[in-house]
Amino acid sequence: MKDPAQSSTDHQENPPSASVSTVPLWIFALTLLLIFLGTVYFDHHSGWFNPQIYSPFENEAQLEAYQPKSGSAAMIARGKQVYEQICGICHGVDGMGKPGQAPPLAGSEWVNASSYNRLAHIPLMGVNGDITVEGKDWNMAMAAMGASLSDADLAAVLSYIRNSWGNKSAMVTPEDVAGVRAAIGKNPVPMSAQQLEKMPQ
Amino acid sequence: MNSNDIKPVPTSQVDASCRLPLLALFGGSALWLVLGLLLELTASLQFHAPGIFSCCPWMTYGRVLPAANDLLIYGFAIPTGLGVMLWVVARLGQVELVLPLVSFAGANVWHLGVLVGTLGVLSGHSTGYAWFEYPRVAAALLLPAFMLVAVSAVAAIGQRRIRDLYPSHWFFLASLLWFPWIYSTAFVFLLVWPVRGVAQAVIDWWFASNLIVVWLSLVGLGISFYLLPKFSGRPLEGRFTALFAFVTLLLFGSWLGIPQGAPVPFWLPASSILAGLLFSVPVLVVAMVCARTVCGAPAGCKGGPFCQVKFGTAAFVLSGIWTVAQACPQFAHSTLLTTFDLGRIHWQIFGFFAITVMGGFYELFPRVMASPLPLPGLPRFQHWLFISGALVLAASLAVAGLQQQSADFILARILPAFRASSLGWTLLFIGSLIFALNVFIMTIVWVVGIIKTVIGAIKAPLAVAEVKP
Amino acid sequence: MKNGFSVFCVALAALGLSWIGLVLGPVLQLGHESLTTVLNSTDPYPIQPAGAATLGLQVYKANGCAACHTEQVQQDGVVCNVVLSAPGLHPDDVSNLLSQLDLNGLTDQEASIAAAKIAAVGGKTEIRVASTGGDMNRGWGLRRSVSADYLYDQPVQLGSVRIGPDLADIGTRQTDAKAILAHLYAPQSCTAGSLMPSFKFLFVTRKVQGSPSPDALALPQAFAPPDGFEIVPTQDAKNLVAYLMNLHVNVPLYEAPFTPSVAANK
Ligand code: HEC
Repeated sequence: MKDPAQSSTDHQENPPSASVSTVPLWIFALTLLLIFLGTVYFDHHSGWFNPQIYSPFENEAQLEAYQPKSGSAAMIARGKQVYEQICGICHGVDGMGKPGQAPPLAGSEWVNASSYNRLAHIPLMGVNGDITVEGKDWNMAMAAMGASLSDADLAAVLSYIRNSWGNKSAMVTPEDVAGVRAAIGKNPVPMSAQQLEKMPQ
Repeated sequence: MNSNDIKPVPTSQVDASCRLPLLALFGGSALWLVLGLLLELTASLQFHAPGIFSCCPWMTYGRVLPAANDLLIYGFAIPTGLGVMLWVVARLGQVELVLPLVSFAGANVWHLGVLVGTLGVLSGHSTGYAWFEYPRVAAALLLPAFMLVAVSAVAAIGQRRIRDLYPSHWFFLASLLWFPWIYSTAFVFLLVWPVRGVAQAVIDWWFASNLIVVWLSLVGLGISFYLLPKFSGRPLEGRFTALFAFVTLLLFGSWLGIPQGAPVPFWLPASSILAGLLFSVPVLVVAMVCARTVCGAPAGCKGGPFCQVKFGTAAFVLSGIWTVAQACPQFAHSTLLTTFDLGRIHWQIFGFFAITVMGGFYELFPRVMASPLPLPGLPRFQHWLFISGALVLAASLAVAGLQQQSADFILARILPAFRASSLGWTLLFIGSLIFALNVFIMTIVWVVGIIKTVIGAIKAPLAVAEVKP
Repeated sequence: MKNGFSVFCVALAALGLSWIGLVLGPVLQLGHESLTTVLNSTDPYPIQPAGAATLGLQVYKANGCAACHTEQVQQDGVVCNVVLSAPGLHPDDVSNLLSQLDLNGLTDQEASIAAAKIAAVGGKTEIRVASTGGDMNRGWGLRRSVSADYLYDQPVQLGSVRIGPDLADIGTRQTDAKAILAHLYAPQSCTAGSLMPSFKFLFVTRKVQGSPSPDALALPQAFAPPDGFEIVPTQDAKNLVAYLMNLHVNVPLYEAPFTPSVAANK
């Protein structure tokens, strides 16, 4: 280091220079190697700019594989939607029925039957005439609405009403509904409660 | 190297031409450094007595901490870096600094912006973006202020006698482009037309990392690439190697900053991981260039500016290794969202940048002011204070970070480390007082000198007039 | 690189590249994101927060809560757990089989193999997807945070250091506004040794006039105001609490799936 007093005299100090040696080759090699390794990592993990891939998922196939599809929760969630769009209008979003419109589903013995057969007939064929629900008599009509509902949606809505508002019964699968629908055939005539009671639960 | 016909200017004249803007830059930055460290200390009191400022909204931790951090970056690091840069540029060009009044004005507007910003953050008008907390008014002052200084720096580079650019020039030129770009991007996308949702955070990370990693590195390395050869009396070892470091620093460094685990699509953190891995290239090359330049130097460092720049450059390499390590996914996972990264940032600011820039400062200041330092023993003391302070601070934050994740959030385990960081802040604070003392004493001496000459000049004709009749 | 212009071009190119990648890209990809729906439903997500919550975010920002709290749930992995939903006609065989199989912490393939084995003896199963990681163990959220969670936040307050717990799901953990207010007023009254500063300045201590205000804080003796005085939150404090209680990471999304518990239907 030069003495400050010395360099502040009236002479011209030369700025430092840089030597003109070449860059060692191994640096380029190392850079290329790192670029290669980094790209391999990026290729494996990044999801290639897909806006829906967050770690720990690495690609779309993996994300698909972990979507909870078969789960009852998903089915019930779907059933809730369908219910609120269609059935809730008459039976109430809370499943308590509406006086003069439709009987309750919460706690209903028709809903909580040991199996799905009778229950599935109700929306598929419609009901009319006298029906006793939780000890009360109703006499009205519910039209068939099976035509507008897929097996999956109907299964979802039946599973939903069987597992909501305190109801706790087994789920209904799309295959179950498909079976009932096939047995009914193409002429859904509204049934009476007596006819329903003659069928297996 | 070929000199053109411009007559060489005596070095003392070159130095003197920088005086006005440098005093403005350093004067403010010394004040902000002291204040910023004081606020950091205040904030870290939180770890000793949590209830301490409960009645005063201005002093609550969440306001003091960002205000302090921003003071360190905007108040201290940027203006000090710019000051040393102006001097280096003038020296390299062997001409007087052009447009000194422009950079003088820029420096003052800058400091005004920092003042407004700090008051804004403390009064609860922070923008809420990390390292970009200053409210819109302050941001609108800082940007033109930087441009003013940048204009004078670019003009000074344009005036150079030796037409070949020296490596430091590259680093400086890039830094002068970098800051306005990143700052205006953040300004536009965060404050003027804020983008929606989490893209805000991405822009903020990009900005902060480009400021702290890239900008500070560009300026700090530009300074040390000038000073190391000058001190060691040898040429910079490898113009092309330095060029390689420069290009890779820009290319890879600018992609850092998106933390792993951030709630953004993974390609963003993955890009930063890739960049972090590649960042080892410029770090390695810088280490090589500097080591080959310094090794076998005839002059030893004797605790002076040479030592400071050497240490600062070594600290850059360490902070680079730290950055690369954090990019490694396995390692990052165990330190995510802890103070570990904060340790790296403070190491970058103090260990690397502040110490390097201080080396430049103590080298240039007596020359620029054309008088020896008032307290010649103190810079060395400050050097040790800064080294130990930065080490304690970075180490305590890093340890706290490592403890935090593995300890699964047990406060008792991290508290001692947090408390140790107060010691680091204290050491740095004492060091900053020495810096401020030097700047202010020299300024006062200079002002007094001017007043004396002015009075002398007023008196002299009077004396002549008195004689006449 | 002999002249300034070439340096300028190199810097411009390098910065331009990263600007396109890390600024323009995210702005185009995330900045124009619109509402999504909750997984397997048509419920829109996220729901626009009420006015008080929006104002509360400004209080959160102004006081720098993000200096110590993050709002981003981390997730390490995802697993499938196989749950028996109906034992079928041969419950003994099924329970025998269950005792031999690993049912928890499986990959999707392992889970479907296990489910198939159980189905072979007549049991009906359900495969439940769950997120794993330190944050899930701590009960800080049911899945990782994703960009959709922040659609209405201005500014987004992710935070970067956890000196306190993560708050992204605080609204699910803490449903009692009064408790949050007490925590803001005197953190040490809720968690002994807490490092959190007290936010007394968001509250007013005043003389009880007539009957005590319904808003008044109920504090333990050591922190309570003198007799005849009560501590009531300012509007800012109320907004802040409204904001906090509105923070949830508890519904599944396509990009961060999990099987929600059916608690809502029971
Ligand atoms: C237009 C109004 C209406 C709609 C829509 C409707 N129901 Fe009904 N539902 C009725 C009426 C009325 C009865 C009683 C019929 C009777 O008195 O014979 C009934 C009876 C029932 C019953 C048997 C009685 C009980 O309460 O358990 C079930 C089960 C049932 N409905 C299910 C459904 C389902 C599932 C849907 C949707 C897919 C649905 N309903 C949609 C009006 C409706």
